[in-house]
Amino acid sequence: MTAEHIGLQTPDGRHELAVAGAEASLPLSEVLRLRGFPLNTRCGGRGLCGGCEIELRAGSLGRAADGARVAAGAARLRSCQMRLRGEDVEIALPAGSLLRHDPAVVAEFRINIPWARDPLVPGVRYGAAVDVGTTTVALLLCDLGTGAVVGDASSFNAQIRFGEDVITRIQRCSADPEALGQLQRAVAAETITPLLREACGQCGVAPGDVGAMAVAGNTTMLHLLAGVDPTPMGVHPFRPAFLGHRTYSPRDVGLAFGGSAAQVHLLPGPAAYVGADLAAGMVATGMIYDEGPALLIDVGTNGEIIAKVGDRLVGCATAAGPAFEGSGLTSGTRAVRGAIERIRLRTGPFAAELGLIGAADRPLGICGSAYVDFLWEARRLGILQANGRFDGAFCSRAGDAIEAGTYGRRLRLNASASTGAIWISELDIARLLQAKAAIAAGTSTLLHLLGKAPADFRRIYLAGGFGFHLSLEHAIGCGLLAGFGAGQVQVVGNTSLGGAYLVLNDRSLLGEMAGACRAMEAVELNLQPGFEDAYIDNLVLP
Amino acid sequence: MTTLEQLYQAVIDGKNKDARALAQRALDEGANPGDIVDKALVPAMAAVGERFKSNEIFVPEMLVAARAMKEAMGVLEPRLVAAGITPKYTALIGTVQGDLHDIGKNLVAVMWRGSNFRVIDLGSNVPATKFVSAINEHRPHLVGLSALLTTTMPAMVETVRAIRSAGCPPVKIMVGGAPISQQFADEVGADGFAPDAASAAEKARALVESA
Repeated sequence: MTAEHIGLQTPDGRHELAVAGAEASLPLSEVLRLRGFPLNTRCGGRGLCGGCEIELRAGSLGRAADGARVAAGAARLRSCQMRLRGEDVEIALPAGSLLRHDPAVVAEFRINIPWARDPLVPGVRYGAAVDVGTTTVALLLCDLGTGAVVGDASSFNAQIRFGEDVITRIQRCSADPEALGQLQRAVAAETITPLLREACGQCGVAPGDVGAMAVAGNTTMLHLLAGVDPTPMGVHPFRPAFLGHRTYSPRDVGLAFGGSAAQVHLLPGPAAYVGADLAAGMVATGMIYDEGPALLIDVGTNGEIIAKVGDRLVGCATAAGPAFEGSGLTSGTRAVRGAIERIRLRTGPFAAELGLIGAADRPLGICGSAYVDFLWEARRLGILQANGRFDGAFCSRAGDAIEAGTYGRRLRLNASASTGAIWISELDIARLLQAKAAIAAGTSTLLHLLGKAPADFRRIYLAGGFGFHLSLEHAIGCGLLAGFGAGQVQVVGNTSLGGAYLVLNDRSLLGEMAGACRAMEAVELNLQPGFEDAYIDNLVLP
Repeated sequence: MTTLEQLYQAVIDGKNKDARALAQRALDEGANPGDIVDKALVPAMAAVGERFKSNEIFVPEMLVAARAMKEAMGVLEPRLVAAGITPKYTALIGTVQGDLHDIGKNLVAVMWRGSNFRVIDLGSNVPATKFVSAINEHRPHLVGLSALLTTTMPAMVETVRAIRSAGCPPVKIMVGGAPISQQFADEVGADGFAPDAASAAEKARALVESA
């Protein structure tokens, strides 16, 4: 058998490859990989994504499925579905098809798919990825020539002064014609612009050199950034004005960076209450390419859960409240430096061992992962009863670590009060139980709707502000992920920011993200007959 | 402990399966269904309401107790109907149009049942016209309007207006839900407001008894 010749044009230049023997019968994507041109086969070479597309300039290829001849032409071909057929070919490889990065943990999120270097706005040196949360806004500055993160910053969303949740902010827009502009200025000029300046300052980049921004966030946040009235989303049937991908010039949305060609891209979202933040998560986790069944659980003020079963994507939102973000609790805090992220308990006598994020002289407060530890440890040791109350016998032995207050009893976790006491109260526990119940009931209702059991799922992606240090055994044991095994769950961090980072660096993902949004069916949990019962069932500790 | 005492305790502790079984056992032992309600369930929900108001229990325990009460009532209701025992007062309840949340509304419904109201639950996302036609049909003493979303408060205003208009029989109106305040209740012309489900039961009794 004579050798076949591939003339390969890549963004870096021209390469001549001779292919012979058994190698020639492999899928073309595999042939190229073996010759040092790994492609962006994020679906695992199953023909589900556009990550390995090539342009066939001359000659012909054979379709793997049926051997049919495919001649050179304008259409792009998925190389994982193509084979050489003993003919010389001329192939061009678009930038988006060349694998540049393997799956990795980047900053505060995990990316499970490979990605290319094919920036969202061609020819731009620096770009920013932004996650606009209702409470927190996070930004990464990227060198689009290398994909490297060169700066990062996060802060509270300045819109908080207009209301803590999305509904309050929507309501303001319906009541006051000035509010929409005020909310847009709060997130753009008062939040994103200072974050971008801070990130640029970290690496000496001028904001004028930033030419692209990819923004993920819930549907309400994207409406407010775009200056589009979200009022119809406030009442049933909760209709957003837009869900698709949108491009603006920074000036149009009140941002100040880049030159006249700079662009702000709002990522597409699936539904009013399952937004672009989840679309970003579906891509960053690789879930949309998974054979499944897979689950994405994003724990935030509004919890969202998406299941992929076969070709179906079904999502729902569940009102968890901000307890796991540390908000509204006696000693709660966000997962920032100095926060207690890990708690181990002992009894006889009672003692708590506290693990902090980073080096700090004294604990700042307790963040979500440590509250999960507490629920599990305290229940296991008999400190807490199933109803979330401190056990009477424990209290009588605990001495001055237990105090009675207006809102039930509270337990002091640190030995010395001189550095500022850290408390967990029975009211805190009630709020944590409500947050846990909302997530657990949302999950079980969705599973019930799909006729699935926890054990049927190959992978559960747990996203949200817990940080990477969440103990899965404890999350399962306290009932947050009831019925699942630790081996099924992967903690993926802030995948909303992760998805924005991906699209910024590899624009071919945008189309696949939009496709997943169109495919997702939104389920309204409040209309599911079993939801309330499941919620009440989950208001106790196992 | 007698069966009724055990039932009382099971409701307070939120043991729904026990509550159902104990209600059945009380019936099997020959207790009058009306007595089971009056001597076990009504005092149990009153105790739950008191404990909630004094911060001895929080929302999760209250929801768990209310479900146990509902399960026990489920066993008793067919027997109450068969015996022709109907509560003295009738109430209608629903979540206003545009709002799908009903866990809070359902909790108030249970508290009202526990205060000897016959409660007709219209569900969630209920248009003003549906409230009016249900009032015409059932002639209740009281109607309760619930809203969780700030954005659906205008729908509550509209519903009160429709109920107060000509063609709707006179009825006491109570409003409630996370964003609702006494001030809002006064502005819309409601007769009563309660900040939580425990006080909603007391307020409801006060409103219908003063009528």
